[in-house]
Amino acid sequence: MASIADFAGAQPPVYHQERESKYGLSDWLTTVDHKKIGILYGISGLAGLAVGGLEALLFRIQLAQPDQHIFVGDQFNGLVTMHATTMVFMAVMPLIAAISNYFVPLMIGARDVAFPRLNAFSYWTFLFGVLLMHSSLIFAEFPAAGWTGYAPLTTKPYGAGGIDFWWAGLAMLAISSMIAGVNFVVTILNMRAPGMTLMRVPVLAWMILVVQFLLAFSFPPVTVGLILLAFDRTFGSVFYETSMGGDPHLWQHLFWLFGHPEVYVLILPSMGIVSEVLPVFSRKPLFGHHAVIFSGIFIGFVGFGVWGHHMFTSGMGPIADAAFAVTTAIIAVPTGVKIFNWLGTLVHAKMRLTTAMLFAVTFIPQFTIGGLSGVMHASPPLDLQQHDSYFVVAHFHYVLVGGALTGLFAGAYFYLPKITGRLLDETLGKIHFWMFIIGFNLTFFPMHLLGNNGMPRRIFTYPADAGWNTENMIGTIGVVFQVVSVLIFFYNMMVSSKKGAVAGSDPWDANTLEWMIPSPPPVHNFDFTPVVLSERPLWDHKYTPGFEITVPAQREEIHMPSYSWRPIIVSGFVLLVLIGLLSHIWALSVVGGVGIVVGVYFWVSEPV
Amino acid sequence: MTWSLPHFRRAVARAPGRLLALVALALLAIACNEAHPRNTLQPIADTGDISAWFYHMLLWVDVVILVLVMGVWTFAVLKYRQRPGDTELPPQDFGNHKLELIWTVLPTIIVIAITVPTVGGIFKLAERPDPNQKIIVVEITGKQWWWEFDYIKEGINTANELHVEAGTQVLLHMTSADVIHAWWVPRLGGKRDATPGRRQDMHFIAREVGTFDGQCAELCGASHALMGTRIIVHPPAGEDSYQHWVEEQQEKAKEPAAGSPEEKGRKVFLEKGCVACHSIAGVAELAPGARSRTSGPNLTHVGGRTRIAANTLENNVDNLAKWIKNPQSIKPGALMTNLGLTDEDAKAVATYLFSLK
Amino acid sequence: MSEAVAIAHDGHSHDGHGHDAGHGHDAGHGHHQLTENNFLGLPNIKLAMWAFLGSECMFFGSLIGTYFFYREMSLGGPMPEDIFDVNITSISTFLLLMSSVTMALAVDNARQRNFGKMRAFILATAAQGAAFVGFQIYEFSHFVAHGLKLSTSLFGSTFYTMTGFHGAHVSVGVIWLVMVALLATQGKLNKDKIAINVEVMGLYWHFVDIVWIIIFTFVYLLEFTR
Ligand code: HEA
Ligand code: HEA
Ligand code: HEC
Ligand code: CUA
Ligand SMILES: [Cu+2]
Repeated sequence: MASIADFAGAQPPVYHQERESKYGLSDWLTTVDHKKIGILYGISGLAGLAVGGLEALLFRIQLAQPDQHIFVGDQFNGLVTMHATTMVFMAVMPLIAAISNYFVPLMIGARDVAFPRLNAFSYWTFLFGVLLMHSSLIFAEFPAAGWTGYAPLTTKPYGAGGIDFWWAGLAMLAISSMIAGVNFVVTILNMRAPGMTLMRVPVLAWMILVVQFLLAFSFPPVTVGLILLAFDRTFGSVFYETSMGGDPHLWQHLFWLFGHPEVYVLILPSMGIVSEVLPVFSRKPLFGHHAVIFSGIFIGFVGFGVWGHHMFTSGMGPIADAAFAVTTAIIAVPTGVKIFNWLGTLVHAKMRLTTAMLFAVTFIPQFTIGGLSGVMHASPPLDLQQHDSYFVVAHFHYVLVGGALTGLFAGAYFYLPKITGRLLDETLGKIHFWMFIIGFNLTFFPMHLLGNNGMPRRIFTYPADAGWNTENMIGTIGVVFQVVSVLIFFYNMMVSSKKGAVAGSDPWDANTLEWMIPSPPPVHNFDFTPVVLSERPLWDHKYTPGFEITVPAQREEIHMPSYSWRPIIVSGFVLLVLIGLLSHIWALSVVGGVGIVVGVYFWVSEPV
Repeated sequence: MTWSLPHFRRAVARAPGRLLALVALALLAIACNEAHPRNTLQPIADTGDISAWFYHMLLWVDVVILVLVMGVWTFAVLKYRQRPGDTELPPQDFGNHKLELIWTVLPTIIVIAITVPTVGGIFKLAERPDPNQKIIVVEITGKQWWWEFDYIKEGINTANELHVEAGTQVLLHMTSADVIHAWWVPRLGGKRDATPGRRQDMHFIAREVGTFDGQCAELCGASHALMGTRIIVHPPAGEDSYQHWVEEQQEKAKEPAAGSPEEKGRKVFLEKGCVACHSIAGVAELAPGARSRTSGPNLTHVGGRTRIAANTLENNVDNLAKWIKNPQSIKPGALMTNLGLTDEDAKAVATYLFSLK
Repeated sequence: MSEAVAIAHDGHSHDGHGHDAGHGHDAGHGHHQLTENNFLGLPNIKLAMWAFLGSECMFFGSLIGTYFFYREMSLGGPMPEDIFDVNITSISTFLLLMSSVTMALAVDNARQRNFGKMRAFILATAAQGAAFVGFQIYEFSHFVAHGLKLSTSLFGSTFYTMTGFHGAHVSVGVIWLVMVALLATQGKLNKDKIAINVEVMGLYWHFVDIVWIIIFTFVYLLEFTR
């Protein structure tokens, strides 16, 4: 019973094409290595987290006291809009993409994703979209119609130029996400190591698979919604023009048909991380492994049928309200199955409360609180009161910050050692954990009371006699805690990646394939393709006689794809098309369109 | 971790307890402080009662579930730790079908138990008011960033403050002239969207006499935060009765005495272009057939309002003058033109308008 | 152990063409099939196309849904019955349908490695697609002349957007067809990969065709059976 994985006999494979991993600027721009792309996503996501958090800090300062005049009117609305858009699309989603990119191929024993250059294209398109949207601050002003961008507030008569950057930026993110979705669906379904049946795919990879389906199928409706908006603003079509008979509900349906699956895009990967971290630090298998997977699939399906619960006050009529109320409540069941299975994993465990485990364990009650307030919203008679109040703000931050972000923090402490080769400092980690959890609850728990006491969301100021002063002050103090804790986390990452204790290949005594290779992994990931014999291949290798992963006598022959400029160039042309559209300089769009065609031609004919 | 400082560790060991105490104190402070004039859980109308009933029902369901989850969780986290030196593996437990069944079926039952009354509540709230009883019908139009109220039958056009009668059915027809708004008075009950191109109805019976504040609840642009509203519930009889208010509103605007400062104000009002957007019955009438002027609130009885600019300022001469001189300084992006009135003119108009009780 | 080995073996069971077929458009990432297990019996690129087409279903579903959401809600302007000319549109629809036949023949010839014939059928398909786009441009200009513009009414907005995006998809298909024909001529495509490439392109082409049949049935024909 060896407790440390040992594959000393393995020989590095024979390369068909030598491909060194270098770290110069052009290497980063042209890389098609899923690990480097993962790192790029990670850095972008952390930057997004800082920007989104900074925006939250700024508008929380405005809200700390009644009748303040620091950010008023559309300045405030712009900060809120960009906070949400940044956090959702440019912090949490890229952090998820970072983990998917870096770890999915490792977890399933593959050498890369199915389409490495397409993967690079996804990243650059994402990055250009982010930059395009943020450049609104320079060329116009921040879009200020909320992250939900309800028409007709976004149409030409009511929405200023920032909205053009908003739709164009989101359109790029949508392209990027749809393509990434297709890419990872293929990767997870088709690139698994021999023996890795679907039920042996790690839960995190499973949840990411579900998420990729959600991305591929939920982004098109909002893309259509954005196209209609863009046409209205650019070419004078009348989709959202009420004087021409247009109906603002169209946008709401298209947006939420995307928006609700999107929230499961944000939470399922964190649920996957928790499902990986809890067993490792409990030294037990995941309780009800199959139930956890199937409930995730079920959530994904039902998630497409509940969007109307965001529209209970809009006047859809009692029958539609009732239907959406029922479908929404049903989602509580599979989610509960997950919660209970995690608790089942903890019972009789031998827990090691590392920072990763602390975050994963804390995910359970935090998310449950958010989920339960969601079930309250699912009841239209009550939601008529709670909709667009701070009760909703409390609900979704419990699931987004207490759930999604907390899960990602667990993932960071768990997985970063594989990426950097060094452990994060546990003391700083625990400071981060406690300050963050306390600050988070300080900020968001009182918001339930604010909602009950009638405070609407998205207001830049409020009167002193409305009875909302204490909770708002506490909320702002809580943000300071969170910001400091995240700064400590950033510091920890920077210092530990250089000076932290060396991790070795398997620092946590873990279960899955990624921990059988060195940290950081070599370019080709695996010296030999492992044959998977169980749902915990590495654990069984270490602890279950007869289940050792055998090292083949022969060296494998592999051929790794080389660097390519094509993805970033084509992506740049996509950006050009959108810049042309939003600036009305059509020539740019034409050049971009031709560039894309030519670029794809060279892309396809590039020898790899 | 070679580089961390030892005293950090000690601080960290104590920090959680201290910070938790802080949280507890803070929450305690919240629990017993300010008055809550917009408490959704102290409804004054039948619809608010339904919402509050669902709140309490769901709160209890949630609390029971949360206590259960937190109970097992706390127990597990405290008890099942790896003790130092213990290298034995815990039992490798892969799951339990019976448990799995229980925690699928039980929540399903709970879900059914909460959705059945929910559906009932939805249809209850969608019921039409009883046509055989008195109904006060008001058309509400949300506009950036104020509310227009039309009492068609009574022939009253007013703004921002909705007057109704206690114990009488009220039916609101809601729409918008520009972007989406939502009319919400928390103590009355749930909000409804006012969507351009659509009409949505809402009805209620208020039972408590008094003044209750509310606000637009759907982001509608720069001054969404300052799109307040108010409902004033009159008693059915007496000095302050609803009928009395209606009769007052149906009168034309008060004539100022010749040579009074009010008369000067009226002159300024008529000359400076205010009539482009505002009407005053008997002074600046609407074109025949028009319901209201396109953009500004009807000022016939503006002096009788408790607040101005959509529940943003106390109604008094100083505030009126301040508003008229520079609306944008009070509401960002306000759609009333800054006509560059002198202090003197502004004061005069304000005095006139305030006299229009 | 023996059970495990059996399962491992299972994972390797490739069906006929599976092994060498995992490349194409995002061409040839070397010997990835080392770990490409074909659990689903589909090469990567084909699976990717299916996933993409699923996504496209949502895209066109939303566009067609928008058309129905707004059907008969226009406040004025030319109505469908005023301007549609089913005869002309039927011709272009027929062309598009026929192009699916030539596309199928191209796939067949690619499988049999008759690359010359394959190229001919691909170009024939492209020509029919281009003709379809030509008809659409004619139809659009005809409608504009009759006073229906994008900004005229909800019908104008939804009609042009929906059919326009379909036309854009046909155009992309035409470019793709021409590109593959060109690459095949220049010998830039690995001969082993041509078949799968053309097959996947065919999937796309048939999909775009089916979308048109749906639009034609529900938008053009429905207006005339009322
Ligand atoms: C990670 C993101 C995330 C997640 C996971 C969820 C999960 C859920 N959400 Fe939430 N939601 C958001 C993000 C999320 N939401 C956001 C961002 C908004 C606002 C958007 C905006 O307007 O800007 C929103 C808004 C929102 C609304 C609209 C409110 C309004 O604006 O009026 C509603 C209404 O039904 C709702 C419901 C739910 C429900 C029922 C769940 C369920 O999935 C929760 C299920 C979980 C549990 C119930 C807990 C665990 C279960 C058990 C322990 C079993 C036993 C329980 C029972 C039987 C009840 N959400
Ligand atoms: C995943 C998504 C996500 C995340 C993580 C957060 C995180 C936070 N959110 Fe946000 N939020 C949303 C999604 C999210 N939010 C959405 C969708 C809305 C709705 C918007 C709308 O109405 O349209 C919203 C709205 C919203 C509101 C309501 C605004 C309103 O209606 O007027 C508030 C109010 O307090 C708020 C606060 C916060 C705070 C304090 C945090 C904190 O947790 C943030 C903590 C801070 C950090 C994690 C970063 C700290 C680091 C730095 C600041 C580094 C500084 C920089 C350097 C020097 C490098 N959010
Ligand atoms: C361009 C149109 C326009 C003009 C001109 C205009 N107003 Fe207004 N006025 C408005 C609008 C719109 C509002 C509502 C603003 C809000 O509450 O956001 C308003 C509100 C008011 C109010 C507050 C009413 C209430 O019930 O709260 C007063 C008083 C007022 N205007 C007086 C004047 C006077 C006096 C003038 C001329 C000097 C004037 N207005 C000129 C559009 C106009
Ligand atoms: Cu009107 Cu917000
Ligand atoms: Cu939702």
